[in-house]
Amino acid sequence: MTQPVTIIMIEDDEGHARLIERNIRRSGVNNEIVSFANGTDAMLHLFGADGSGLVQKGNALLILLDLNLPDMTGIDILRQIKENKYLKASPVVVLTTTDDSQEIKRCYELGCNVYITKPVNYENFANAIRQLGLFFSVIQVPPAAT
Amino acid sequence: MTAEAQRRRAFWQVLLFSAGLLVLTAISAGSVYLVNKARQDAEWVVHTIEAQNQINALLLEIRRAESTARGYLLTQATDFKADHEKAVAAIIPALDRLTRLTGDNPAQRANIEKLSAAIETRLGQFAQEMDFISQGHPDKAAAVVREVGSTDTTAAIAKVATAMIREEERLFRLRTVNSDRSQTLAASMTGIGSGLVVVLALISIWLVRRSALARDEAEARLRDANVNLEAVVDERTADLREANNEIQRFAYIVSHDLRSPLVNIMGFTSELEELGGDIFRRISSLARARGDGTPPAPAGPGEIALEGADKQLSEDFSEALGFIKSSIAKMDRLISAILNLTREGRREFQPVKIDTRELIAAIVSTVAHQAAEARAEIHLEPLPDVVSDRLALEQIFSNLIDNAVKYLKPGVPGEIRISGRTKLGYAIFEISDNGRGIDPRDHQRIFDLFRRAGTQDKPGQGIGLAHVRALVRRLGGTMSVSSELNAGSTFTITLPIAWNVNNRNADR
Repeated sequence: MTQPVTIIMIEDDEGHARLIERNIRRSGVNNEIVSFANGTDAMLHLFGADGSGLVQKGNALLILLDLNLPDMTGIDILRQIKENKYLKASPVVVLTTTDDSQEIKRCYELGCNVYITKPVNYENFANAIRQLGLFFSVIQVPPAAT
Repeated sequence: MTAEAQRRRAFWQVLLFSAGLLVLTAISAGSVYLVNKARQDAEWVVHTIEAQNQINALLLEIRRAESTARGYLLTQATDFKADHEKAVAAIIPALDRLTRLTGDNPAQRANIEKLSAAIETRLGQFAQEMDFISQGHPDKAAAVVREVGSTDTTAAIAKVATAMIREEERLFRLRTVNSDRSQTLAASMTGIGSGLVVVLALISIWLVRRSALARDEAEARLRDANVNLEAVVDERTADLREANNEIQRFAYIVSHDLRSPLVNIMGFTSELEELGGDIFRRISSLARARGDGTPPAPAGPGEIALEGADKQLSEDFSEALGFIKSSIAKMDRLISAILNLTREGRREFQPVKIDTRELIAAIVSTVAHQAAEARAEIHLEPLPDVVSDRLALEQIFSNLIDNAVKYLKPGVPGEIRISGRTKLGYAIFEISDNGRGIDPRDHQRIFDLFRRAGTQDKPGQGIGLAHVRALVRRLGGTMSVSSELNAGSTFTITLPIAWNVNNRNADR
């Protein structure tokens, strides 16, 4: 059974969110994109009111995560996703301005699947997102564990 | 204790010492003087006694002469005559001795004259008696004796002698008193002097003890102060490190957070550009449709045929966007530079042994192409090896050599010289060129971040030297420039020969 993959975008900067979405669409990816501007809302959506992650059971998710959020760090969200039995199989793409090698290493250690630094140069930025879109169109995302 | 008190104490000690010395000298001089005086007095006393003795001896001899004369008169025995002659012979020398002994005293001299006269008379009478006896006229001799007895010659002699003895006794008493007084004086002088010296010594000891106590106290305070100082230095160093780290973090976060809106500005500017393209394409097709009635053909991408005012609008639009984009690009470079600097500031140095000449030769080979273009020659002199961070040294020297090649005088063959020497545990490197030089007014400015000097005809961000100086400082070294406009520049770098984690003077 193939289930349409939902893209969860956790990005506090609305402009970035809009640019990312636009470029994903341009690459021909038409999946539903759910945006969150802060960590709390995103956590609520991902883990449900009880914090167990049961609400996402059976859903195929792909998570786009910014590390610099106003209310919590993306690293925390990443860790909790990768520790949750329903969510840990969902691919997480960290898309952020931080290009500190320590930070990148830490994200991969925590189970991040792809780490992309947002380039200021828009062409590079658009390119990166479009390639990510291509990546989305071919990636196989397993539904959350039952 | 204050310096004033210390000076006062030292002054008192010197004063005490001088006083002690003075007292000792006075005592010595006084003692010598008084002892001499006492000896003289004693001599005078002895002299008096001798004089008395002499008077008595003289009287004795006269009596002896008298009694022997009488014995001879009575017995006419020659024994008496011999004794009498001996006694008479002794009288004159005894009188002479007495005269000598009492010569110093005018009163006694008068007495002596009287005595000598009396004795002479008496001696004459003795001679007369003897003559009469030896001539066999004992009756005449007896008459002389009787006559002598009736006259006062003998009495005069006795009277004068007594007077002399009295006088000598008076002198004896006087001189004894004098002598006693001298001795008492000498003794008391010595005693008082010794007492004074002892008192001075006691005061000195007390002062020295007080000084020692004060010194011990001061030492204790100094120790405390040192300990405190170390604590304070540690504390300040910790504060400084904290502040430095804070600045690093601040710079890092700020540059990150600045980047985030920049992504938006750039992104939407690009979107706007595309949008602008779309709009002007639409305008162009509409204008064409209205102009010649042909159906608006979809214009090919990139080529927008506009005319007149529309063309002007499009150009203005593109120009504005162009400025925005170039500014964003510049801002991005600056932010990246700050980020790189903070990252450099956080990098841990790894001290390794570095063959400096080899390292610089490698750098020189990377700029060989630019050097050849600028017709520049790079001379590498023997350089001291150092233990330091390889990457940092590479960055330092490549920045400086790059600059030297970059800022040569146009049209003049460049000559760049890299030399080195060691001094007191430091390696000193000099990178000199014959390039365009730097105005002395700009010598400070060129080390500031984002600041440049001179003709701005070469690309650059104004980061290189700021970065180099930060690195040199972190490596525990110093850096300076000496240069005149149009007269070349020399950058001097002083680095510790053996760098280790402890002698860095920057963070951590």
